[in-house]
Amino acid sequence: MALLSRKGTLFMLFLFSIFLLSASASNGSGEEEEEEFWEELLLKPLPDRKVLSHFHFQNEAPLSDSFARHHHLFPKSIAQLVKKFHIKAMELSFTQGRWNYERWGGFDPISSHNAKPPGVELWAVFDVPPHQVDASWKDLTHALSGLFCASINFLESSTTYSAPKWTFQSALGSLRYGTLPREAVCTENLTPWLKLLPCRDKAGLSALMDRPSIYKSFYHSQRLHLTQAKTGADPKNSRVVLEQTLTVVLQPNILTGGTNYVSEAKMQPSWSLSSIFGRKINVERGLVTQLENLQSSTATFAANGTNLDDFGRNVGFELSVNPDRVLKEVEKSSSILYEYPIKVHKDSEQFDLGITWKHPVIWSTPHAPLYASRFLMGSGNERGAIAICMKSTESTQGLVAANYVDQRCNFQVNVLQIVPWYIKVYYHTLQLFVDEKPQVLTDFVERMRVSPSEDKVSPGLMELVLKLPCEVKSAVLNIEFDKGFLHIDEYPPDANQGFDIPSAIISFPDFNAGLQFSDNSISKTPMLSKLQERSPVISYTEVLLVPLTTPDFSMPYNVITITCTVFALYFGSLLNALRRRVGEEERCLNDKGNTQLFQFLHPKTQVT
Amino acid sequence: MELDPKTMRTTKPGIKPVILTLIVPFSFILGFPLLWKSVEIYRSPLPFCGIEAFSSQLDSKPLHFRCQFQAMFLGFNFTASNDVAEAIINKMSLLNPNSSQCGNCGAYEVSVVIDSGTSCMRTENSKAQCPFKCGEEVAFFGGKLSDENVDELLRGCLGNVDGGGNVYSVVVVNGGDKEAEVRAVVGKYRHAWILGGVLEEKALSRVAEIFAKVFMNGRSEGDSIRAKFMPVGADGRIVLSFSLLNAEPRDWIYDWNFREIDEILLQPVIQSLQPIANITVESQVLYHTQKSSFSYWDEVLGSHISSTKDLPFFVDSNEWHLDTSVAAGGRSKVLQLLVYIPSAKECPLQLELPNGDLSNTNGFISRVIHLAFKFSLLNMWGGGVVWNPQSCIKDLESKDPPRHMISTQVFLSLMNCHCLVTRQLNEVSVFHRDSHNVWELDVLSQNHVCLNLYSCAATLGSLSRLVMISLEAAKFAQSNASAGIYDASAVSSRQARALAEDSFFHPSVMSISYYSYWHSVSIYAPYFLLVIKPVILPVLSEWKRYKQENMKFVAWKAKAKVT
Repeated sequence: MALLSRKGTLFMLFLFSIFLLSASASNGSGEEEEEEFWEELLLKPLPDRKVLSHFHFQNEAPLSDSFARHHHLFPKSIAQLVKKFHIKAMELSFTQGRWNYERWGGFDPISSHNAKPPGVELWAVFDVPPHQVDASWKDLTHALSGLFCASINFLESSTTYSAPKWTFQSALGSLRYGTLPREAVCTENLTPWLKLLPCRDKAGLSALMDRPSIYKSFYHSQRLHLTQAKTGADPKNSRVVLEQTLTVVLQPNILTGGTNYVSEAKMQPSWSLSSIFGRKINVERGLVTQLENLQSSTATFAANGTNLDDFGRNVGFELSVNPDRVLKEVEKSSSILYEYPIKVHKDSEQFDLGITWKHPVIWSTPHAPLYASRFLMGSGNERGAIAICMKSTESTQGLVAANYVDQRCNFQVNVLQIVPWYIKVYYHTLQLFVDEKPQVLTDFVERMRVSPSEDKVSPGLMELVLKLPCEVKSAVLNIEFDKGFLHIDEYPPDANQGFDIPSAIISFPDFNAGLQFSDNSISKTPMLSKLQERSPVISYTEVLLVPLTTPDFSMPYNVITITCTVFALYFGSLLNALRRRVGEEERCLNDKGNTQLFQFLHPKTQVT
Repeated sequence: MELDPKTMRTTKPGIKPVILTLIVPFSFILGFPLLWKSVEIYRSPLPFCGIEAFSSQLDSKPLHFRCQFQAMFLGFNFTASNDVAEAIINKMSLLNPNSSQCGNCGAYEVSVVIDSGTSCMRTENSKAQCPFKCGEEVAFFGGKLSDENVDELLRGCLGNVDGGGNVYSVVVVNGGDKEAEVRAVVGKYRHAWILGGVLEEKALSRVAEIFAKVFMNGRSEGDSIRAKFMPVGADGRIVLSFSLLNAEPRDWIYDWNFREIDEILLQPVIQSLQPIANITVESQVLYHTQKSSFSYWDEVLGSHISSTKDLPFFVDSNEWHLDTSVAAGGRSKVLQLLVYIPSAKECPLQLELPNGDLSNTNGFISRVIHLAFKFSLLNMWGGGVVWNPQSCIKDLESKDPPRHMISTQVFLSLMNCHCLVTRQLNEVSVFHRDSHNVWELDVLSQNHVCLNLYSCAATLGSLSRLVMISLEAAKFAQSNASAGIYDASAVSSRQARALAEDSFFHPSVMSISYYSYWHSVSIYAPYFLLVIKPVILPVLSEWKRYKQENMKFVAWKAKAKVT
């Protein structure tokens, strides 16, 4: 922690608003029968003058007899999916852009849960016997594909999904994982996602989702996370929790505050809700109308730094609306969360929170223990190598400081790498360099699970559990591969662009991404409890683009044409030879010769 | 003799080169079927004959059900019972001339029991006991018992009469008093009764009428033409999807406890319709579902009017996400049934029929004014009801909008009002009579057996039948139908149809339909086009040359003859 504060002032700024909507399914049969809905928004200024906005919608329904048949708030289509395919847990994300782990952080719940690989990522855990899991997965991909207007159905093929065991803790054999790195995400995917909300984007926080603002953002990721929460011993008491989140990193339009222009370049941009989204939260009665049991709706807002005690004066910024509640993070980054209940602001016409910076502030966000990146090595169309490079950040340095007494301080790193079958990885070539020195694998690898790829059947999967010393500076994993050949119909359109290798997942189970707030007694909203939840730190590497040898796609047609020409020539000459009349030709030739001789001798005479 | 070598020749031209050049294209032609066969898509051998026979049999000999009718005359003095049966059959055939249609009773048997009090006569085919066991009671209590009680009483008596339980009976009780009012009641089960002073001749025609119009056609008196079948999906399933649409939740929010409605109201109907269709019910509540058609304010009626002509715009599929039933995969039928709550701005909302009248609003209850409409345009789609809250005034004082529950009673009246469900679930007038009528179900299942068999035959015929089981099921349905087991025949006919549809969507059949003729032409054209030139041209030129040479020979021969 000491190291952290030495880096300078550290700032986090949160805001969120909560709405609760609930509908009781039957009169007086108890709390279990209730369907509930919350919506929250978290805003956080990022060090590189951008703003992170994180929408969080949570829908809960009891898993009763009428589940998937009669619903008040919970989306029926999702409930039917859960019931039909016996889904225990599922996550689907659509992402455009890449999360910048260096600048936007990698050690908080937001980045750990919401920083996703580009394109589509889907994993699901099924509650079916092992031999039915694959069939359920295939059906699920088709259903989701229809529901979200995306080509998720490409994940149906066994070459695109795999069953990792260690990376996802909820696994236990019936988990399937697949990604589509090249899927383009746009508004046609957002609309069906919004349709799952009770009021779509007609009311509430989702009304803020201005499509141009979202799609010109640096990063946006829409996520749908399904879990079953058990409330008691009886399985009938469990509830299905559907979380929908949209994480957007935006560049706010700078509000010219009228301060001196010299410092403006160094200043963090001041912004408000309306300057980010072009809209304000409509607190007019409509928004909250549906919400009968509206409880504390809050908007929070956090700041931190060295001068925590007198907020508002020394932190260097000003908020346009006074927060209802202030929460302080104590363990990691000492950030502050400001909470704004929307119900309190009901009287005013519109709620437009703004922040104005008073003097330049520089801070950095907490990083994941190791900063991971991945790249390709080698040249040519024959072979190459994949390298995963992990560099230590201030978090591991902090760990060293904390565990200085214990000489044998280690921490665990899980690596999951999935490669398509046409990248033929030689697992025996796996090399590990720690601090740029080659090392014996067994010294650092605690466990390893490899399922080699099978041509046109399954992708290759490698899971590694590494134990790295705390004082590690860098660790590089290196593995060689051969490039395979595909059948001509297996090439995608635009094959010359190259083939994507899905992101590797690096997780740190020894590190807890959750935040710890000073005051734990107060009522928790779903997002607050999500932020406090203990969960491992997860980060994704880049997607790699491997150029493969592509055939001349017009070749089959050329072959047909050449064959036909050869046939034509053959038959033509054969028939010509058969039809030749040698005697007649000679006679003709002779006749011709005679005529020519006669003409030569009597040039003036006409031959008749 | 002079020989001009340009126009004449002395020898007959040789046919060899022509034959040689002909052999090559000829071998091509011979090889063509081989090629054609090799690029052909494999189709499994199908029982063409069986399918042909089945569909031609359906065409030539429409499916008829075996129907047994039984008339019981208590307190009548007919002379010969066989004549009475004859007379009834004659009258029935007059009343129902197109009995040759599919699904009708083909050859119907009418048995007669005449109990005059002192003597009892019956036709040979009658199974009823003579004297009729409950005759006395019905005659005695006739006027005093309620209809329900008479119904149950007759069920008790007639239930023992037949084994299969599919005999339709009419009991005519002569009240003795010629002035007494004549009442004809059709019961819940397969029987009807006529009470009062009836003359013999009149009694006969009433009995024939009940047989022909009610039991055979499922048409109760005074009712207009009913729909012939239920919109069952090709796989024999229907999903009833109920949606409660809150146009503007800022004004008021309505909710319902559909689980209760489902259990109390819908499950009994669904159970009784089980042989015909596998029905599932689901529901959802939607918010912010504005309609996209405009309504106008009518000063006289004091309400907003929306024309039914705008119904296609009324249902705004863009904003109303109704189409979200994963349960109904593939070929299942989803019927959308909507309850629309207008916003305060548009309350009360009434619908105007194309003829200018307001849609019939016969169901007033204390708290709400409601108005229902039948989506005639969207017959196979479902239906909807506009439900206006009682007071259309928005409560400006309260900050939160009022929340209401639609109770089971209100829902019942909503459905009752214009039989939203009964229209779609067809004749089974469950909500009219608080329970379903067995004879109506009979007619419904008869219609369905017909429909299913016909569509099964058509589907099979069009794709050259893939599945034998389908046929067997259809045949089983037929034999059951002629044996009079309606439920079993409905089940197997449904199965037959579902299997037929399954075979249609079989991947091998799909590939056949996607691999078009022109596709194969375009693949093989380059090959044939290139090769065809050197193969065909020599034949032509050789043939031309042969004809020329032959002419020369003919000319020389003619000249030789002259000289």
